[in-house]
Amino acid sequence: MSETGSKAIVTVPAVAVIDEVRDEIEDVKTFYFSFEDPAVGASFRVRSGQFIMCTVFGAGEFAVSLPFSPESDRPHLSVRQVGKVTRALHDLRPGDKIGVRGPFGNGFPFEEIKGKNVIYVAGGIGLIPLRSSIVHVLQHRKDFGRILLIYGSKTAKELMYRYMIDEWKKTEGFETYFTIDNPEPGWDDRVGFVHTLIAPASVPVKDTVAFVCGPPLMFNAVIGELGKAGLKDEAIVSTLERHMKCGIGKCQHCAIGRTLVCTDGPVYTYRQIKTLGEQI
Amino acid sequence: MHILPKADLRRLTGALAERYALYGPVCHEVSGEVIFDLVDDPSRIDLDIPIPYNPPKGVVFPQAERIMSFSYDRASKAAAIEPEALAAPKALVGLRSCDLNGLLCLDRFMLGQEYVDEVFLEHRKKMFIVSNTCVHPFPQCFCVCTDSGPAAVEGFDLDLTDIGGEYLVLTGSAKGEELVRGLGLAAAPAAKAALRAKAVEASVALFDAQAKDNKAWISRAVNRLTTGFIPHEVWEYIGDQCFECGACAFVCPSCSCFNIEDAAEGEGRSCRTRAWDSCSFEGYARMAGDHNPRKAVEDRRNKRFFCKLSFSQSRKYLRPGCVGCGRCVRVCPGDIGLPNVVTAIRRESTKQVPHE
Amino acid sequence: MIYKTGICNFCGTGCGHLMKVGDGAVKGVFASPDHPVGAGRLCVRGWHIHELLTTSERITRARVRKDGALRDVPLDEALALAADRLAAFPPEAVAFRASPRASNEDNYLLGKLARAVFGTNNIDLASDAGQGHTVGVLLESGGLPAALASVADLREAGFILALGIDITRQNPILGSELHKAARRGARLVTLSGRRTQIAKLSGTHLQNRPGSMRIVLAAMAKVLLEEGLVDRASTGERTVGFDGFARALDGLDMGRVAGLTGLDLEAVRETARALAGSEAAVAVFASGISGLDRETIAMAHNLFLLAGKAGRKGSGLLAATGICNIAGSWDMGATPRFLPGYVKAGDAAAADRFGKLWSARLNGKPGRTVEELLTSSPPTLKALLVAEHDEGLVRHPEALAALDLVVYVGAYDNPFARFAHIVLPAATYAEADGTYTNTERRIQLNRKKVEPGPDILPAWRIWTALAAKRGVIWPYKTSSDVMKEIAAAVPAYSAVTYEELEKGFGLQWPCDERRPKGCPHPGELPGRLSFAAVPDRFTAPAPTGDHPFLLTAGTDNTFWHTNVIMKKTHIPRREYNALLLLYPQGLVEISAEDAARIGARDKRPVRVVSASGSMRVAAKVSTDVRPGTAYVPYFIGDMITGFLDAHGSLLEGGEESVVPVRIEKV
Repeated sequence: MSETGSKAIVTVPAVAVIDEVRDEIEDVKTFYFSFEDPAVGASFRVRSGQFIMCTVFGAGEFAVSLPFSPESDRPHLSVRQVGKVTRALHDLRPGDKIGVRGPFGNGFPFEEIKGKNVIYVAGGIGLIPLRSSIVHVLQHRKDFGRILLIYGSKTAKELMYRYMIDEWKKTEGFETYFTIDNPEPGWDDRVGFVHTLIAPASVPVKDTVAFVCGPPLMFNAVIGELGKAGLKDEAIVSTLERHMKCGIGKCQHCAIGRTLVCTDGPVYTYRQIKTLGEQI
Repeated sequence: MHILPKADLRRLTGALAERYALYGPVCHEVSGEVIFDLVDDPSRIDLDIPIPYNPPKGVVFPQAERIMSFSYDRASKAAAIEPEALAAPKALVGLRSCDLNGLLCLDRFMLGQEYVDEVFLEHRKKMFIVSNTCVHPFPQCFCVCTDSGPAAVEGFDLDLTDIGGEYLVLTGSAKGEELVRGLGLAAAPAAKAALRAKAVEASVALFDAQAKDNKAWISRAVNRLTTGFIPHEVWEYIGDQCFECGACAFVCPSCSCFNIEDAAEGEGRSCRTRAWDSCSFEGYARMAGDHNPRKAVEDRRNKRFFCKLSFSQSRKYLRPGCVGCGRCVRVCPGDIGLPNVVTAIRRESTKQVPHE
Repeated sequence: MIYKTGICNFCGTGCGHLMKVGDGAVKGVFASPDHPVGAGRLCVRGWHIHELLTTSERITRARVRKDGALRDVPLDEALALAADRLAAFPPEAVAFRASPRASNEDNYLLGKLARAVFGTNNIDLASDAGQGHTVGVLLESGGLPAALASVADLREAGFILALGIDITRQNPILGSELHKAARRGARLVTLSGRRTQIAKLSGTHLQNRPGSMRIVLAAMAKVLLEEGLVDRASTGERTVGFDGFARALDGLDMGRVAGLTGLDLEAVRETARALAGSEAAVAVFASGISGLDRETIAMAHNLFLLAGKAGRKGSGLLAATGICNIAGSWDMGATPRFLPGYVKAGDAAAADRFGKLWSARLNGKPGRTVEELLTSSPPTLKALLVAEHDEGLVRHPEALAALDLVVYVGAYDNPFARFAHIVLPAATYAEADGTYTNTERRIQLNRKKVEPGPDILPAWRIWTALAAKRGVIWPYKTSSDVMKEIAAAVPAYSAVTYEELEKGFGLQWPCDERRPKGCPHPGELPGRLSFAAVPDRFTAPAPTGDHPFLLTAGTDNTFWHTNVIMKKTHIPRREYNALLLLYPQGLVEISAEDAARIGARDKRPVRVVSASGSMRVAAKVSTDVRPGTAYVPYFIGDMITGFLDAHGSLLEGGEESVVPVRIEKV
């Protein structure tokens, strides 16, 4: 259960202003926002791994994982345009307004993993929900062992946050491994699917937690490799995306077996995912 | 307990009509069909007619409901968000215990989890409930299988039991007591008060002879749905018969899945509507992009029956989600009302079997 | 009271519903438990009709095209302009397209407007090929030009034959009756090239090669003859034309049936025996947009007549109409061929009778369909009025664009309105009183639930106003007055009144002096039935080396017609989109065997190539089609629509028409 749940904006969205829009990769933009009412902004406390419900006036509302680190970032969203509502969001410019409810969901473990090695494995825009945790962990570098980012996408131009990754690399001992599906001009790093990097990275196993996020095929392949490497199911953490309408455990659109992703999740260990009894 | 002569029911409903929007079971003025509806004339409420075709949940959880208005002027950047106006207080008269149990399921799910559903709460608070003991069952009833009848145990302000010519009135709240006092109802002598238990006992005894349409011996189904040990063929058998109409969810007193849609209304105005939804629909769990985790129709059936009978869901309702009203059987274009599904699961059988 | 009784306005099943009304608006809908057809059931469309009725995407103002754009004008001005401009052309150059979702009153008066005011018989319903064939065969055979079996008969029948129809999608509640019949022990046989849901629920699925249904039915008839299972009465004095039919069957070589149809002959024989052995039998097929061709309907009729299952209580053909008032629209004469009551247009005596009733001199020349007029060369059509059209598929757009005048009258926007010079707003069915005739001849009254907007009139009032603008004053104050005239014009409706309809759940015509409560079982009516003329050649479309697949087209639950209507709802639209998400460019369904052979994969693009066109769509690898056949749902995506438009035969010929194609991996 979320520790910030009681303070969440539950039903009626709060109006927020888009301060800045940044083009990321094709079809993905980042929207920096602040609340119209500063009092709302002050009480808007987020835990890494949570999500909000974002209203685009006249178009609708959608659930989106928050990529920003609660400690050090301005509030923002990185959103791929995939449907009517996200397309309408992409039409907005700085100064435009949106509605925000939340934050909802349980969030990533942080205190619990102090002292451990941390592996982030992401495919494509699967890096967005992991970003808050990466920033947070890097900021507390000394509290952790090895920190690895294993990241791949179909093509080089579909790799998210490359400029940020360059910044992160400045943190001592931050190990990065990149791949794209097929060779292309100008790419001199690895080629192949993400899961093929796990063996070469000789990932740590003992006292290690792995965060995995990406499309279902990639996810399953990565889980297989991590398992082969010796990671236990409970040491693998993921955040699930589901169609959501309410965000507060009522509409049931996000039900998987006995769990509701909005209130029980979106963060689950692989051990939990396996017992959900349904395809994820 | 108190006594209300049957002829005085009008006094009770009339008193409620002064303070509440009054809902109850009525025969439709044109078609004669029994429905649960808003009434202008309190004397139209009839407590002897069968269980209404529509569940009373529509009063607290409307089929389609505007919950919010937005206005956004892109030129001036002025944005306003207004929740819809508060609902009027309502009195629900003549609820059968199955439907009252359905309402309690909704209460516990909508109000009792991590978050309170504020829209539901708005309808539910300031409500007066009068339940009506089923002194005999109807053909489709199986509340005795789901422990939700024939008499109400909790959740009412007043509860009426027909003991022939008069009702025994049981009070369940301070509001109920106040109304009983206001009407000046006589206290029931002990001998009469004991008739409620007798009426319930007599009603249960009539189930074998009168409630012939459905039986649902749910315990093994609860076990199998909770543990997931149900052969795929059983789900396929059920899925083949699903016409994907959504009716089972719409008529279920405890189903509360909903959809939310925003619609533009011109000149920068838009509104948010929430409406009944059903987990049996293909588009229900679909996500933007092309990932639909619950594609096959049998997977979707699985979800609904899990919700009605699994232990994990029952923990949220503090009872099984099925309340034994039999409505899903009557509305299903296939033949997969809950009792038939329970039978198929119990027997791990895809052969049609006569009811026991 | 907030729940008001009414009739669902989507398909021709005509289920009853209770519409929730409050604050002057529609709030929801619930199934009507006691309704004789729906009996408490609705389909996904019916459960969401309130979403359509509350959409903000309505036509609310009269509009006239000025300088290329449609501009709001006062209603009266638009009505006057429409009437004057329509009258400016010779009658042969004007046509009217009626709406199969409009009420009987609306369509009766539109017919009267066309014939008595504008002097033309050019009036039709779009996509009426299927119903036209049904009506044609049944009239020819001497029976009623409508369903001979009622929904209630499905509850008694021992044998039910579903011909092709994907009935749990098109008419889901009729499909429910079929399923429930099978559950109570009736023999349910589906004869269909696709493994539809009803095929899965049938005791027997005869999965024939597309286009061979007529041969299967002929083979069954021949089995009855060969095995002496023919109903004696049906070949004797009660019928006409047996010898001709028997001679036609001589042309069928039973040895070739398996090869032509892809079916095991023994299964066909066994099915024929079961039909003959049943007390009462019903054949159900789609009538309307994806109906059957004349020859197949004629063969089904002859088979049932031969088996003694026509002209008998509880037996006969049930043509399932896909839109709520296709049947009533035909009854009202919304066709160039017939005046109201199936009186032949162009018949002198009829013209005289209706001329007297309508106080007008009627055009003696039979009319033509809009389709015929738009494709005639040289073009003769100048002006077209289209009423509430559901189809998004606009055929012959060049011919439409070349018309001097297009008037669109409707409640909802439609691609046809793009061509319109004048647009008139019409009430929805919830905003007006009106009667609708369902697939089993049940005339049902639907009362007004809510007030239309200030400029919005029920269609029958619009037609009355247009007549008035031409100086013809009609006396109707209410739609009930219109029904009084219909009762005078159409013998089968002669005892129908709003007062009588109000008392119950509709009246099944013939409803006249002798049968004031209607006639649920017309099979009992006296009279001789004829065998329909059928050709004595039995061929089926065959794949060729170049085009080894037989492609067919069909509909689905949520892509009902072209979805112009469905897309204005929330839930049905989402269901439609759910399929589109997986197959955004449309799909062609092929078997796993064929997919493996051509190297196609699910959701990956393939090219479908016929002798005259091609389209690129995604493959849907499915167990529902047999090897060598392929299936496209009608109206997904412009690619498919464009392809189908180029293959008009698929649209006009209905379910049994096929296009030989090859399918290539892209």
